[in-house]
Amino acid sequence: MTPTEPAARGAAAPTAVRPPLPVKMVIAGGFGVGKTTTVGSISEIRPLTTEAAITEVAAGVDDLSHTPHKTTTTVAMDFGCITIDSTLKLYLFGTPGQDRFGFMWDDLVEGALGGLVIVDTRRLDDCYAAVDYFEHKGIPFAVAVNAFDGRVEHALDEVRWALDIAEQVPVFTYDARERGSVRDALLVVLELALARAQG
Amino acid sequence: MAAGDTPVGEEARPGRPDDPVGRAPAVRPFLVTAGRVAGARSGPPIPVETQVVTTAAGVTALDGLSFEAHDIVALCRQPQSLAEIAAKLRLHLNVVRVLAEDLRSEGHLSVYVPNADLAQDISVLRRVIDGLRTIPDSRGALRDTD
Repeated sequence: MTPTEPAARGAAAPTAVRPPLPVKMVIAGGFGVGKTTTVGSISEIRPLTTEAAITEVAAGVDDLSHTPHKTTTTVAMDFGCITIDSTLKLYLFGTPGQDRFGFMWDDLVEGALGGLVIVDTRRLDDCYAAVDYFEHKGIPFAVAVNAFDGRVEHALDEVRWALDIAEQVPVFTYDARERGSVRDALLVVLELALARAQG
Repeated sequence: MAAGDTPVGEEARPGRPDDPVGRAPAVRPFLVTAGRVAGARSGPPIPVETQVVTTAAGVTALDGLSFEAHDIVALCRQPQSLAEIAAKLRLHLNVVRVLAEDLRSEGHLSVYVPNADLAQDISVLRRVIDGLRTIPDSRGALRDTD
């Protein structure tokens, strides 16, 4: 039922256009950290917003933790895309992140090539959930410190230490407004994914 | 015709991309799916990047379709991801999942579910890397002196 390559299910339908193979990367981080700016800097379309359901698991003592089971919340998700060629299209999904909850992003993240966790050094707490999630799922990811106004308030070593990021995870600064900077950040993640795929 | 027929699409929601909740739409999302939700079937929900294309039969049937079904089949004459359909028609992603599956089983849409192994496919990763490398630093001539 789920073909490996887009199957020629439309073979008998001459007007059906053969779609590109879609791949995706996930841009994660706290609210207002620059996810949409990042997507918008490199996307060939203006970022679109859709509402997605995210399953939350109440972590520890919280207002919602009296609910014994997982709860589903609707969140706004921004995304854009880059046409690699006529047969391959890269989607970039900005996933909302909140601390306090362990997010179940599986619905969005399943099958992603990799993730980019965006960090605002003034609010390091906001990205714990994303770092934890990618580590837990074994998805290749890097941590990109968005250097607002070219300043970074913490040294990268301190960010790595504060977030308890494993040595093999790249941590670097970038500028969410610069297309070249975003491109290079995505390439860091993809090179990591390639190295892992090559085993 | 289509735009006026769909109350959900009429909601002018201000762009607040990081708003965690957003405004409630005028029509409860799952009214249009008669209460059915995605993922109720066996297996995981189809990925958000899944490509959807209108079939020849769908084009033929277009005038007979109404509301969301019409809008989706009309939109997907050009391939769209589930996420694009949801965003452009202002429908909840899981509503689109349900409706796309309905329209596929009726023969109006082809739904191309990507294989999850794609993420570990070396040739795909190389193509994405090579493709990204060709993207210049900035758009237009704004910074051509850098």
